[in-house]
Amino acid sequence: MTRSHRITLDVLASLPAHKQRSILMMLGVAVGVAVLSAVIVISQGTEERIMGLVARHGLDMLMVRSGGEVQVFAPTADRGLTVLLEGDARAIEAEIPNVTMVSVVQNQRDITVVYEDRSVTTRAFGVEPDWMEIRRRDMAEGEFVSETDMAAMSRVVTLGYKVAQVLFPEGGAVGRTVRVANDPYVVKGVFTEMGVNAGGDDWDDRIVVPFTTSSRRLFNRPYLEQLVIRTADARQMADTAARVRALLRVRHSIAAGEEDDFFVREPEDVENAALDTSSTLSLLSLAIAIVALVAGGLVIMNVMLAAVSQRRHEIGLRRALGARASDIQRQFLLESLLVALAGGLVGVVAGIAIASGLAAAEIVDGRVTWVPFVVALVACTVIGLVFGVYPARKAAAVEPATTLRQQTA
Amino acid sequence: MIEAEGLARRYRKGPVVVEALKGVTFGIRKGEFVAIMGRSGSGKSTLLNILGLLDRPDSGSYRLQGVDLSRADDDEVSAARNRTIGFVFQQFHLLERVSALRNVMLPLLYSEENADAGAARAERALQTVELSHRAQHVPSELSGGEQQRVAIARALINDPALILADEPTGNLDAESSAGILDILRRLADAGRTIVLVTHDRDVAARADRLLVLEDGRITADDTIPSSSRRRPADVV
Repeated sequence: MTRSHRITLDVLASLPAHKQRSILMMLGVAVGVAVLSAVIVISQGTEERIMGLVARHGLDMLMVRSGGEVQVFAPTADRGLTVLLEGDARAIEAEIPNVTMVSVVQNQRDITVVYEDRSVTTRAFGVEPDWMEIRRRDMAEGEFVSETDMAAMSRVVTLGYKVAQVLFPEGGAVGRTVRVANDPYVVKGVFTEMGVNAGGDDWDDRIVVPFTTSSRRLFNRPYLEQLVIRTADARQMADTAARVRALLRVRHSIAAGEEDDFFVREPEDVENAALDTSSTLSLLSLAIAIVALVAGGLVIMNVMLAAVSQRRHEIGLRRALGARASDIQRQFLLESLLVALAGGLVGVVAGIAIASGLAAAEIVDGRVTWVPFVVALVACTVIGLVFGVYPARKAAAVEPATTLRQQTA
Repeated sequence: MIEAEGLARRYRKGPVVVEALKGVTFGIRKGEFVAIMGRSGSGKSTLLNILGLLDRPDSGSYRLQGVDLSRADDDEVSAARNRTIGFVFQQFHLLERVSALRNVMLPLLYSEENADAGAARAERALQTVELSHRAQHVPSELSGGEQQRVAIARALINDPALILADEPTGNLDAESSAGILDILRRLADAGRTIVLVTHDRDVAARADRLLVLEDGRITADDTIPSSSRRRPADVV
């Protein structure tokens, strides 16, 4: 057993001997860690709720339509405008920081899809693989179009729920070959049922092919109907929309004073207020938690300093028996650390319990993950070490000669 | 074993500089039992600290087993203390809530080599001081004499070259004192080198040799007649 091994075991064995002091220090750390853990649980819960809102209301998605504002009120008419191109999508992706993904969208109605003796006439879309993530769609069966399909301009198609129902009433659509506008396409997947949206569009009555396939084969034209854009931070939506608009005006060579030949549609900003207040609240709670932790650290430091003074005979004895100054320092630092860890354990459990209780009573949001445990562990290790170093050094500096002799006259 | 030459040490006590040792020279051979006697203020605690490697002289040299450690670093000196010196203190200085056995084992914590089978060595040490039956008791359950015996066992565990006893009977009654001095005498007879510091003439009389320290200097260095080394009661 090495020297540090032995010293560690010795510290462990003698901690119960200083119960009162240890418990006091533990409490100091526990309070700080409990506050921190509760803050984390609540923050993560709030974050989760907000993410849910953002996803449900598409708050992080921007849409660009070709044609100016006038065209917006004729959603089912085909627009003959040819100004929106793939290069616009790539430029937006590359040059605007808050943008994480962009997909082009082509669409056209009155496309016939045939399987054996059944047929439907539906709207066809040509998109890129990211489209599914941006729009948060799900496949009920099979897979969505992939980069490989894009590269090969594959004749693959994914079917809307209703289209699949009509063509394949007994199921088993994936893998079959259908005829889309008289060409054979392999069915790659089927979307989940989605219903009709607020604008009257039937999401289940459509098919989706890769953009390269739609532009080169199916529609045989390069210009787009839409761009869909995912942003990283929904709070910056207004700013991002303005940048997209500015970028497109430049790319489309629109002079100042001229109208846009496109339309940028932002999501409803109903929930933005909620997003703002939540971040302010988080910062404040975090600040409080840090103050509580520092206070806990100060408790450790002061109790340990008093202990060093009280235990100077013990220190002197150990030194006389052969302990190095570094051994004494290690012993006391280890004591601080162990007490801090024990306090941290109590604190993290208490903090999570309290926050969960408040969340259950619907007073705050709450979500328990591994994060508070790891943060608590790191926090109390740091606290134990940082606030234990000074007393440990003082202990190591105790001179054995002066402490061992009782001054008898 | 010990060669002290011209040891001098001064230290500051408030505004005053005290010259605790003013040039102390003596030698101690292996196996000798030496008593150092002096009143308080004679410099005996300073000399004790230097002998025990707890302090360094300002001038002069101190060689323990031929080695002068005055320029060695803290790690080396600590290791030397652990290996070569066994301390016995007036106030015993045992760890309070720890058993006698574990108290005896304490020096092993700081030993260089792997101290396995430490418990066995501690038990043997306790046997030497006739305290095996109290091995699991904590100091508060032991009498003064028993506590000092535990301290002696602790001093013996690393088989040190030198035992340094500082007023070992100062906190004990007459009967316990006699018992402790008997043990030290026995250890000396078995070949241990022992230096005992005291202000009590009767205690000093149990040693082989007496050094008297007065005002920082050695004023006497005499062999003690063997008749007085036994207990007063045994002298016919």
